[in-house]
Amino acid sequence: MGRFLLRRLVTSVVVLAGLAVVTFLMTQVLPGDPARAAAGRNATAEQVAAVRARLGLDQSLPDQFSGYLGRLLHGDLGTSVFTQRPVLADVAAMLPASVELVLAAMAINIAVAVPLGVYAAYRRGRAADVAARLITLLGAAVPVFWLGLMLQLVFAAQLRLLPLTGQLAFGQQVPRITGMISLDALLSGNWVAFGDALLHLVLPAVTLAAAFVAVVARTVRSSMITTLDSDYITLARATGASELRVVVRHGLRNALVPASTILGMQLGWMLGSTVLVEAIFGRTGIGAYAVTAVLQNDLYAVIGTVLVIGVVFVVMNVVVDLVQLWLNPRLRKAAGRERRAEIAVNA
Amino acid sequence: MTRIMAIDRIALAVAVLVVTLAVVGPFLAPHDPYAVDLANALHGPSAAHWFGTDVNGRDVLSRILYGAQVTLPATVIVIAAATLLGTLIGTVAALGGKAVDEVLMRLTDIGLSLPSIILALGLAAALGPGLRSAVIALALTWWPGYARLVRTLVREVKDAEYVDAARMLGVSRARLVFRHILPNALNSLYVQTTLDVSAVMLVISGLSFVGVGAQVPSAEWGAMIAAAANNLTNGWWAVAFPGLAILLTAVAFNLVGDWLRVRNDPTIREGVR
Repeated sequence: MGRFLLRRLVTSVVVLAGLAVVTFLMTQVLPGDPARAAAGRNATAEQVAAVRARLGLDQSLPDQFSGYLGRLLHGDLGTSVFTQRPVLADVAAMLPASVELVLAAMAINIAVAVPLGVYAAYRRGRAADVAARLITLLGAAVPVFWLGLMLQLVFAAQLRLLPLTGQLAFGQQVPRITGMISLDALLSGNWVAFGDALLHLVLPAVTLAAAFVAVVARTVRSSMITTLDSDYITLARATGASELRVVVRHGLRNALVPASTILGMQLGWMLGSTVLVEAIFGRTGIGAYAVTAVLQNDLYAVIGTVLVIGVVFVVMNVVVDLVQLWLNPRLRKAAGRERRAEIAVNA
Repeated sequence: MTRIMAIDRIALAVAVLVVTLAVVGPFLAPHDPYAVDLANALHGPSAAHWFGTDVNGRDVLSRILYGAQVTLPATVIVIAAATLLGTLIGTVAALGGKAVDEVLMRLTDIGLSLPSIILALGLAAALGPGLRSAVIALALTWWPGYARLVRTLVREVKDAEYVDAARMLGVSRARLVFRHILPNALNSLYVQTTLDVSAVMLVISGLSFVGVGAQVPSAEWGAMIAAAANNLTNGWWAVAFPGLAILLTAVAFNLVGDWLRVRNDPTIREGVR
């Protein structure tokens, strides 16, 4: 098992190194002078020359890359031309708000997709199953940004049930502790602001979750069907256990293992999708930051965001593997068996 | 079962309809999609303008019909390029020996290790905003999925008896790959490509919406929504209908993809879906 973990970590390091290469290439394909791009549109000739020397752009490509890699390892993602601050500091300030949104979306995702998948599997082939299929079909096909706008139109502009944009109503204030506004409101004991922050989260979180519900519901449904057809479910029914107990206790517990992999992966994907959601709802966050950076031609800020989301994604994958190993004893045994087989080969 | 079959038939019809509209749309469009008519700006749906007019007085229906010629070809180009690249890399990985396989698969891992929208956003930003950049960026980020699939498919086929037989008959390596291995391995690739049409289309329109894809005044569906978003409350139709066009097309291609998958896999066909 230790060996399995080691291999997983080595793979992750390789992927991260690859990510560094890809982002380095992004700085190279830029049409025009990268030093001028990094220094900003209004920089003087001296400033551009200084940036050129600092970034080592007068050196050979391999030297430039090793310099780039060295800066990355020191947490230097460059300076944002737009905010004039280090990109890492910008991204670190933005990340909590996006994580808050992603967690809210994940909660909605699980609350909708799991029951939907279970129910569709249980009522397989009937009207409820067809309805569930229709919902998952629409979820997989709806443009996220368009859904956000439509929800705003109906629930904020027309029905006035929920706030249109922003993270907190005008006049409300919360001290910055974690950077997640709802959590900060809770920690500072401001219940009014907490409720308000949650209301502001509803529409963006539903929008972000919509595309992911479809995949989870499908996975739960198909693994649930396999589980419900298995012998031990028949046995559980034969012992006279209630139908609810059979489905939830015996069926769902096993059917959730494949779904948990996908849910873990989705955290990373959702962070990527904030690019399409945050700006619509006027939220600050890493997605909105990336979009602004792109529109401002702020290349280092864009690349910094790509890097940070990439790192989060890779870390999430490792965590998912660990959770899988912990959830599924059979995998744990398999990892051990693999190791024994390797030892046998080496001996 | 019959209910589901009916859905499939409708989906196929809608997909065919969308593709047909993309081809003949400009002939059907009642108005010039780029003609600015400020006197008629933001008029709701009416007999003259079925889907209303946008903030510049342009006919939304005509723009959607023209937009199909932007969005769909861009999607097809991305998928074709990604399939080609993925097939090449997947085949070489499967047949090229252990070291080659290891290197190419780690490269694939890198591609799969990032949400494609983020990678495409970075690449498109580096290349400069524009539909061409978005298409190039997306093609460069979409191939790893195909590479992995093709590698698996080729590895399944390469040791089949008929391939061994051909090898023993002294068939050249190139002929072996292109005549015997690939045609059989790629038999089920088209299912994945069909299922990917909607995903790629959503990312392309998303990139355009964000501002790195098609630029104004293009009638690309995502760019249309972005341009109309500021007038959401007093001109909802200019947002709603292009989005519905995306939704309908994506649903249709997903259903067709599902149908192909079931048709291709007798084990699902017999059982449940």
